[in-house]
Amino acid sequence: MKRKQVLFLLLFLLFILQGTVFFWLTPSSWQLQIYPNFVFVAILFVSVYYHRHTGLVLGLIFGMIHDVIYYGEMIGTYSFAMGVSAYIMGLLFQMPRAPLPIMMTVVLLGSLLFDSTLFGIYKVFSLSQSSYDWALLHHMLPNLLVHFVFALIIYVPLRKQLEIIAKSKRNQTS
Amino acid sequence: MQLFKLLGNKRLFIALIGLVAFIAIMGFTLGPRASLSWPEKFMRDTVGFVQSIFYKPASYIAGFFEDVRNMREIYDENERLRKAVAQYSRESASYNMMKANYDELQNIMNFTEHQKQRYEYVYRVAQVISVNSDPNNRTLVIDLGERDGVRVNMSVTSVEGMVGVVSSVSNFTSTVKLLTAMDEQDPNPQPIAVTAVGKETATADHKATFGIIESYNEKTGMLEMMRIPEDDPIEEGDQIISSGIGGLIPQGMIIGTVDEVRTSDYGQTRTASIVPAASFQDWKHVIVVFTPEEPE
Repeated sequence: MKRKQVLFLLLFLLFILQGTVFFWLTPSSWQLQIYPNFVFVAILFVSVYYHRHTGLVLGLIFGMIHDVIYYGEMIGTYSFAMGVSAYIMGLLFQMPRAPLPIMMTVVLLGSLLFDSTLFGIYKVFSLSQSSYDWALLHHMLPNLLVHFVFALIIYVPLRKQLEIIAKSKRNQTS
Repeated sequence: MQLFKLLGNKRLFIALIGLVAFIAIMGFTLGPRASLSWPEKFMRDTVGFVQSIFYKPASYIAGFFEDVRNMREIYDENERLRKAVAQYSRESASYNMMKANYDELQNIMNFTEHQKQRYEYVYRVAQVISVNSDPNNRTLVIDLGERDGVRVNMSVTSVEGMVGVVSSVSNFTSTVKLLTAMDEQDPNPQPIAVTAVGKETATADHKATFGIIESYNEKTGMLEMMRIPEDDPIEEGDQIISSGIGGLIPQGMIIGTVDEVRTSDYGQTRTASIVPAASFQDWKHVIVVFTPEEPE
């Protein structure tokens, strides 16, 4: 039953890489446009293929780490947005046998939902001046593309691992 | 009856409590805070340590490819730097004389020790550990912390110009809020009083330039310098530096160059768009400006 812990550590590693290595892989001209959140994409997979409650808890934990590390304005924005969007996507689409097209739809909708939630929170606390249309065009859609490509890359290995974990859980309960 | 049934729903109840808790956390952490609590410090220091292991090699590898690409430009740069060094050595002679003069005058005027040291800043290079590029909350994490004497609100600059202000500090790392996150309606506004190079003080011909930078326009990529008086001598192409008025931001930090001056929306004053000197890309090192301690 070590598989779970290893996956959790890998998720943490992904969080570290996201702020360090991925930043260097993006071309300079894109660095002001995109802010990919790969951890969130991986959590969406957990929500769909395993359980939405696990997705919620993982979203809350990793969002909170992100908030504390990059504490500029306030704590709680990422935690709230990641947890709630992972839970909602899991609630709508949780099916252990979801094929690739459905999973990709979940990633697209989920990342839009996540970015919109963030935008909404910043707007409520009046930390953001730009309009939604502008943010959608300049930040959310480029982000969406990057998330989609990342989801395609991790689809096969992550789904396999999650299915093994889900199966062993079912065997234990029955 | 329907309402009571709704309240009996456990999931809804938990969701509501969660929502309230989050709004409370956000509201509590939004305002100015004296220092971080220990769980936050612990988390930042441990994660910061792991991040620093990854960021440095990645930046070297990426930097290597960039160096190969820039090989051709290096010749031109060398030429320019040689000219700059020649000018520098000429000016340093006159600077030394002026400095001696200035010190002597300070002594004659009976300046206190604190007044003399007010503008003696210490510059320390810090390594960038990780970057958050969320446009509403752009921050960097650097590897200097409370143990190294970093305090909240210290200014951070790159070789080209000012990049931001330290927003929170833990033992070994601190977070820098970038100038591109500046905003008039910010709950912790950090306006920068600025002036133009060569127009810092009023002379017989013209008045001193004065303005306040308090927001960044994301659409044009420029800083907005507000509240410039009507008869101000500011012109396009002027280099803008911080004036040190207000005391929080040190004097003489390079901020950018004027791109356009126009009448402000309210008509009484003028507004200038400033092209930032720092590029806000490809972070490797930044420089933290340590200001002398204010006497209590």
